[in-house]
Amino acid sequence: MKPPKASQHFRSIRRNANQHYFYQESLLLSNLEDSFTADETGDSHDPEQIFQNIQFQKDLMANIRCRPWTMGQKLRALRRAKDIVLKFEGRLTRTRGYQAAGAELWRKFARLACNFVVIFIPWEMRIKRIESHFGSGVASYFIFLRWLFGINIVLMIMTGAFIVLPELIAGQPFGSTASKTIPKEHIASAQDLDTVWSLGGYLQYSVLFYGYYGRERRIGRAGYRLPLAYFLVGMAVFAYSFIILLKKMAKNSRTSLASASSENYTFCWRVFCAWDYLIGNPEAAESKTAAIVNSIREAILEEQEKKKSKNLAVTICLRVVANILVLVSLAGSIYLIYFVVDRSQKLAQSKKELTLWEKNEVSVVVSLVTMLAPSAFDLIAALEMYHPRTTLRFQLARVLVLYLGNLYSLIIALLDKVNSMSIEEATPQNSTSHWLDSTFATRAAPGEERWSTLGPGIGLRRNSTWALEEANIPTYISPLSGANKTTVSTRSPQDQCWETYVGQEMLKLSIIDMLFTVASILLIDFFRGLFVRYLSDYWCWDLEGKFPEYGEFKIAENVLHLVYNQGMIWMGAFFSPCLPAFNVLKLIGLMYLRSWAVLTCNAPHQQVFRASRSNNFYLAMLLFMLFLCMLPTIFAIVRYKPSLNCGPFSGQEKIYDIVSETIEKDFPAWFGSVIGYISSPVVILPAVLLLFMLIYYLQSIARSLKLSNHQLRMQIQNARSEDRKKVAQMVEARIQTQDETTKRFPKDSDLGSQLSSAHSATPQNNGTVVNFDSSSSRSSRVETVAQPTTPSPQLGPGSPSSPLPGFSRSRHCSTRYPRGPCMNTSDLHRSKSCTPGMFTKHIEDVHSEPLFRKDFQPINHGSGVSALVPHSPRSHAPRYYLINERDSQQKKHSTFWPERHFKIDTSGDTADMYPRNMRRCAPLASPQLSEEEEEVPRRQVSRRAFHPRSLTDLHGMHHFYVDESSGSQALTPELQRPTHYTSWNDGFGGQLDRPMYMHKKARSQNFQYPQHPLKPRAKAKFEPSITESDFMSAASSRDQQNSGTNQYFQVTHSQPKCPRSAGQFARRKAISRQELTAGLNDLICSNV
Amino acid sequence: MEGEKESVRMRVFRAGSCQQLFYRYQDLAPQLVPLDYTSCPDVKVPYELIGSMPELKDNPFRQRIAQVFSEDGDGHMTLDNFLDMFSVMSEMAPRDLKAYYAFKIYDFNNDDYICAWDLEQTVTKLTRGELSAEEVSLICEKVLDEADGDHDGRLSLEDFQNMILRAPDFLRFTDSVKFPPFFHL
Repeated sequence: MKPPKASQHFRSIRRNANQHYFYQESLLLSNLEDSFTADETGDSHDPEQIFQNIQFQKDLMANIRCRPWTMGQKLRALRRAKDIVLKFEGRLTRTRGYQAAGAELWRKFARLACNFVVIFIPWEMRIKRIESHFGSGVASYFIFLRWLFGINIVLMIMTGAFIVLPELIAGQPFGSTASKTIPKEHIASAQDLDTVWSLGGYLQYSVLFYGYYGRERRIGRAGYRLPLAYFLVGMAVFAYSFIILLKKMAKNSRTSLASASSENYTFCWRVFCAWDYLIGNPEAAESKTAAIVNSIREAILEEQEKKKSKNLAVTICLRVVANILVLVSLAGSIYLIYFVVDRSQKLAQSKKELTLWEKNEVSVVVSLVTMLAPSAFDLIAALEMYHPRTTLRFQLARVLVLYLGNLYSLIIALLDKVNSMSIEEATPQNSTSHWLDSTFATRAAPGEERWSTLGPGIGLRRNSTWALEEANIPTYISPLSGANKTTVSTRSPQDQCWETYVGQEMLKLSIIDMLFTVASILLIDFFRGLFVRYLSDYWCWDLEGKFPEYGEFKIAENVLHLVYNQGMIWMGAFFSPCLPAFNVLKLIGLMYLRSWAVLTCNAPHQQVFRASRSNNFYLAMLLFMLFLCMLPTIFAIVRYKPSLNCGPFSGQEKIYDIVSETIEKDFPAWFGSVIGYISSPVVILPAVLLLFMLIYYLQSIARSLKLSNHQLRMQIQNARSEDRKKVAQMVEARIQTQDETTKRFPKDSDLGSQLSSAHSATPQNNGTVVNFDSSSSRSSRVETVAQPTTPSPQLGPGSPSSPLPGFSRSRHCSTRYPRGPCMNTSDLHRSKSCTPGMFTKHIEDVHSEPLFRKDFQPINHGSGVSALVPHSPRSHAPRYYLINERDSQQKKHSTFWPERHFKIDTSGDTADMYPRNMRRCAPLASPQLSEEEEEVPRRQVSRRAFHPRSLTDLHGMHHFYVDESSGSQALTPELQRPTHYTSWNDGFGGQLDRPMYMHKKARSQNFQYPQHPLKPRAKAKFEPSITESDFMSAASSRDQQNSGTNQYFQVTHSQPKCPRSAGQFARRKAISRQELTAGLNDLICSNV
Repeated sequence: MEGEKESVRMRVFRAGSCQQLFYRYQDLAPQLVPLDYTSCPDVKVPYELIGSMPELKDNPFRQRIAQVFSEDGDGHMTLDNFLDMFSVMSEMAPRDLKAYYAFKIYDFNNDDYICAWDLEQTVTKLTRGELSAEEVSLICEKVLDEADGDHDGRLSLEDFQNMILRAPDFLRFTDSVKFPPFFHL
């Protein structure tokens, strides 16, 4: 029993191991041969094992593509795996391969089809091009336009297929009935331009308008119920629009929710995933680049908006003020419109003859208001300091409210008209008199429109056209009041068709709107662009830069225009079934014209902001508009009696009677009674209640879901940050274990740190490592300086070696810990590094290194002083000044220090000094110096590059150094001597601390092991310096550090331009490392 | 229109059979590469020719791509390298693999980490130097901020994978304006 179990166990372990190994393997580059070790020995006779082996090899074959091996390795592995599989497996099972191939083929095909479909999305390329050049905000307009186009196509199909076509095919032909013929007295003028322009004549008696449709309940041989279809389609247009709008909005909010959760890698994705690797022609590449630049700028803008320091009180005050202003101006303008409308109505009632001004007062006022108010809103919006996207929304909402004023005047005017007409029909015998007037008025309308709209401003055609309805209304009403008795001619009753009138008006509005759009595009964008482009050379001022400039694409106004236009369509679709078809044509034209104008004449916005590709706000406005536009239509349908002599519903009491009539006549009796019950309050009231309850229930569910969604998101974020922490901890742990191993295997960690230092370059952390620009940290460091200054004289030259380590540690810590304010992780590392057991220090060394490597450029700094100044792109990055004093002129220092000092002050944040040879600064520099001097070059040669660790330590020291000098600003050169002296000692102390640390490190250099024989040599070399005074030995050790630094700089500086490859660099590092070791050993010796 | 066709063609193009690829390879340098490849192992097509392939010629990272896939990092490619490149860049390659090679491509100094300098290079190449220095440094900072899991100031391979595999599904083409497909040569 036992052995099988054991073997099974073993197998399962192995299987798991295999799987695990496989997943691990899938991404890690490792030796190919390793993957075969486990199951390579296919000779095993255990069938289970063989089976596993086969499975493994199959997996390998299937996933060989996933492995980052080179082609040669892959081929070898594949061949091997195939051999094994072939050897152990019958050929039968290979049919499965064909299935897999088939699936693959299908996938390819599906993808191809998907790509193919993209081509047929209308205007996709055009929109993308615009988006790439103008940002997603402008593109959102076009996407909205395209979506509207889609809706209108459906509407057109609905009305066309169910109303227009049946009427054309099966209905009575033109001229057969009274409602389908042009009255005799109008035939003469039916083809006049004027008539055609006002959609009279033949157009009026065509399928374009409600009045043409016959009243026969059934038409054609199939018995198509046209009136019923007319009514149902009219309602279906609204229903469809509502449903599609709501669906789209729901979908948008879903996607926006989904995408909101993954927004935390914005910049990464924009950088790393931005390029489309399929781009294959230069033009596309160019626009892609533009798109990427735009998207990155958008992201930056978002970021800046987030970061913007907000003075809450001021902002809130400003916003409140702005909103009050907007409200006031809105209320004012709406009241103005109301006042003018009211006045004109009264005027029209009281006066017979209206002056030109009185006629057009309303339109002029309305267009003035709508022209001026949006710009006023724009100015006010600048006060609010919102994000540009929010600004756009506010602007849109405000302008929309303003436009509602127009809508109000239009609706009132139309309803008045309809009212008058239907009342008139109730008393047909009286109504013969004023039709001429009304037709006259309608005909006069275009003229007025042209006048009024062209007069005040071209941009606002829609408002003015409405307003002119308003202007027209009084003329209609006045005869009704009975004042006008001049009956010129009696009109045939088929003229009295208010539905046709409404349809005509709507279509007219739409046409005029289109014309004015074209005109405004040409004038405002195109000719202005031409003017600016070609005349700017000959003009007094800069046309392109200053006044007219190039037009910007005004998203808010254009979107509102679209919304508005669509509102007209919805309002008029019931009375003019061809309106959607007309709108489709209009939208197509608009798309081409607009996109052309945008691409040729407009300049991109100054601020590019991200508008989501599917903007729910536009849709919300559209929904609002739909609702508003549906109201008057529904109202008219419900309230007014249909015209007696025209249209499909003539003769009925109400339009909707057609439904009940159909139910009564064409359905069995029980159906009618059922409908009767259903429509009784007994059913409707509970149904409404039920609906309310349902709404409440669903809403509460949605609320709770939102809450849980929020909580889940929080959890995810927590988990993610935990993950990050864990990763960081793991890294830390790894480093620590490394260090522990390096204790046992000296030199290893040094190699590691060396390599990592070669690898890293993070200015960000650099900033924090050597950064002490915050004033608090600076002051704290100055304080800490004060502490060591007192003991330092005691330390003096006499007994440097024994007391110094302890002192230096205190200095070390005192300079490190106060950094608290500007601490981050690397700083944490840093503070840890104070404790002797920890060696995480090299992390910061790692950070500090690359700046030096790449950013320094030599600067001649006075005579004999050369400074290395980093050219760091960041303003907050610390600045390092490396001062090399070539001559050993003692006097230099006194002049030199204030200069440094000055630099620190001007640069504001950080300046570090690296006096090349400290001993020259020291007043104690004695004649022995010369001896030392002789030795230095030798050492410098032997310890070429200095490794970064000590470099950062030097930073610390020099912060100290420099800060002290900056703290004692009033010091004269003479006074600076003591300071100098103390700092020297401090540096010295730090230096002595260093070797202890280094010593451990140095011992732990595994890599360098073969080089160890260097040690005695260096020792021997260093003997003489020990024989000198203790102080001097310390000084020399100090010197080594410094010289090492300098050498390091020189080395890196010698090749500043060549982008050295890592390998090269690592090699160089390795060499320098060897040399350094020697140096370190020297240090150790000298301290001992 | 022209661009559209072109890009469609590119999408259709995929690794295909090795034979096709070999002919493409041979086409690049007919005078260098013999048709009979059985006995001629050591031929390299210089980078100038590789980089002028229609698939690569407009790619801002073409040099990096060539360097990553070439054996000694100089951009000159043997046939094996060439096949490698196409197999990785083909749409059939798994995303893990693509992420791995993408990491290598963005790692300009080959130190196995994407550091700020690499990022600067990436951004500069990507935008053709249109962004100002401050913008570039801001971007680098933000990228490191977002994706650097262990706060060591550079992106390791794990960080990078973590980030890129979470990106919205690149394989879907429909709404890919913002994040177009990462690699499908």
